[in-house]
Amino acid sequence: MILIRAFEAALRVRPDHGFQLLSSGQEAVSVGVCAVLTEADQLLCSGRSIGPALARGLDPGAVMAELTGRTGGLNRGKAGRGHMAHPAAGFFGAHAVVGGNLAIAAGVALAFQAAKRPGAVVCLFGDGACGAGVLHETLNIAAIWQLPLVLVCDNNGISVSTPRDLVLAPRHLADLAAPFAMPAATIDGMDVLAVRDAMAAYIARARAGAGPAFLECLSERFSSHSTATTETRSQQAMATIRARCPIERLSAHLIAEGLLDTAQRATLETEVAGEVARALAFADSTPYPDAAEAMSDVV
Amino acid sequence: MSSEPPVRTVRLFFREAIARALAEEMRLDASIIVLGQDVGAFGGSYKEFVGLFEEFGASRVRDTPVAEAVMVGIGVGVAAAGMRALVNITYMDFLMLGLDPLVNYAAKARFKTAGQITVPVVVKTTAGARGQGVAHSQCIEAWLMGVPGLSVVVPSTPTDAYGLMKSALRAEGPVLYVDHKRLFPTAGPVPIAETLVPIGQAAIRRAGAHVTVVSYSFMVRVALDAAAQLEKSGVSCEVIDLRSLAPIDIATVAASVSRTGALVTLEEGQLICGVGAEIAFQIRELCGPVRVARVGALPAPVSSNPVLEAAVVPDTNRLIGAVRRLLSV
Amino acid sequence: MIYSLVVPSDMGDVEEVRVLEWHGEAGDAFAAGDLIVELETHKALVEVRAGQPGMLRRILCPVGGWMAVGQPLATLSDRPDEPLPDGTRAQTQLLVEFRIS
Repeated sequence: MILIRAFEAALRVRPDHGFQLLSSGQEAVSVGVCAVLTEADQLLCSGRSIGPALARGLDPGAVMAELTGRTGGLNRGKAGRGHMAHPAAGFFGAHAVVGGNLAIAAGVALAFQAAKRPGAVVCLFGDGACGAGVLHETLNIAAIWQLPLVLVCDNNGISVSTPRDLVLAPRHLADLAAPFAMPAATIDGMDVLAVRDAMAAYIARARAGAGPAFLECLSERFSSHSTATTETRSQQAMATIRARCPIERLSAHLIAEGLLDTAQRATLETEVAGEVARALAFADSTPYPDAAEAMSDVV
Repeated sequence: MSSEPPVRTVRLFFREAIARALAEEMRLDASIIVLGQDVGAFGGSYKEFVGLFEEFGASRVRDTPVAEAVMVGIGVGVAAAGMRALVNITYMDFLMLGLDPLVNYAAKARFKTAGQITVPVVVKTTAGARGQGVAHSQCIEAWLMGVPGLSVVVPSTPTDAYGLMKSALRAEGPVLYVDHKRLFPTAGPVPIAETLVPIGQAAIRRAGAHVTVVSYSFMVRVALDAAAQLEKSGVSCEVIDLRSLAPIDIATVAASVSRTGALVTLEEGQLICGVGAEIAFQIRELCGPVRVARVGALPAPVSSNPVLEAAVVPDTNRLIGAVRRLLSV
Repeated sequence: MIYSLVVPSDMGDVEEVRVLEWHGEAGDAFAAGDLIVELETHKALVEVRAGQPGMLRRILCPVGGWMAVGQPLATLSDRPDEPLPDGTRAQTQLLVEFRIS
């Protein structure tokens, strides 16, 4: 979580940061989800992909290079934040179309099922995707075919400028799964341990062939929707929101449990700062692609 | 001329040619699955999947709900994950509901991942007007032929329905396979030996000297009927069946137009931004200014009303008229 | 009288058929209602039954063979000893009932 936060902080101050959607505030969801994933599983996510990619263990240098359009990136700089992927590392990828990865994830899950693979497929999406018809379609098919698929709604309560309550009718977004007789829950997405524990149960079921599940994690978006979007929430509201930091929460918990002290915390921060610096240096050391690459891998 | 023995053929209905290609490929490649409404025990809306469910079972031939977005999305995801899928959309009008996964994901996956993900999916759909009304009659293949990363094939005969389906099921990337309602009643000779028809290769159906008529899908039959009639009054038409809209075999068309000096395109879809518009301009770039005419549907929805449908959809008389006006004969 | 059994023409968009099975051979008598031949169209099976009694004299299209709508599949006659004309087409069409399944 600290890595994600520091990584994004370093990214956003670069003049060439491009169009980024930041995960700051929502780290506990990505990290809690990825904590239970193994090499056998696949993760798909939305365009808010930096948290998921780093939580999945992808190399920060390769991620930074991809975000800044360099050939050292995961996809030679051709995908960017909206589409980066590294399936060999269990990160099937981001997709920038809201709700666009849901049916794809179900297809990947069907492939797992057909091949009797030991893993499961997880798809991260936001509250913004919960009004889309394809979510309903995917829930239905996943239930009928008992796909090894865990759908995780990272509900940060807002879609660009639109509060979720204004446009989505269900009291809890997990209620969307109710008609399909699959386990569903709404949990505190700012508590990384709660996310991990809920995911552990759902992914074990999915891997065992017991079918899909829907996990709604209530989180907070600490920044505006994107680096190009103005914040619509008041400064007072943002102060309250940012006070609910998942990193500080886990830190306090670990300190209370005697598992972490301030010196160790400081060491972690230093190590992360080093990782981020190396990631930036790596990204900057690789070139932009040749213009001819605009035409490569098209067909 | 080749001195090889003639190819041994069997006469098959159009639907049987499709089923045969699928059965052969599904035996060769255990990862191919078929998704669609009524494709299982029912055998497909046009009976084009008959036999597959019995041979390959419910895990490989799957009936789906009417939900094109997830149907195409699942086919795309399955293919992206290393298998192959054929997704059947009964009416081309409803392809629109599944365009996001096809265009925004499948056609772009190889490019955006720098080759780490490829999507060998075939989306098969049936186009064309046959008395079924404004939302069950459209030919919108022109909308898809310009999507980088997406191939589009359009068989007009059982042999090509068979051969192009086999090629589509072996392609590395996504293929849109468009057949036509009015092709299903037809039958034709299909090679007994396993035969592939390459994607991106046109076929000259009739040699001629005065004008090149370019068409595809059911309209090829209209072009051949018109050519037979025109021959009686001394007008010789060369009829080219494109068979593929992406990639287009423009070289075959250009070679023909270089000989005839005149081009008429015929399609059942709309003329604006249509197949003919694209061919006409590509020919202009390759051959210089030649006489060109385009024949297509009138710019109106196609009603189920037989009088109104017949007025909108091109027929032999309209093509004959266009050829005569172009050649001033 | 000599009759032609032709491929029924009021079967929608059917253009041609494949003969699936003959339910008799030359020399067999059929009563009204008897199944004479099964045909396959692009979308269905067609049972062609005699609409009048008659004797099957000559099968013109064997099993697996193709015939266009309106074209003759077989020649029949009222009596077994009537001489058959040259060619395949009799002037009178045999009355038939057909069922599409």
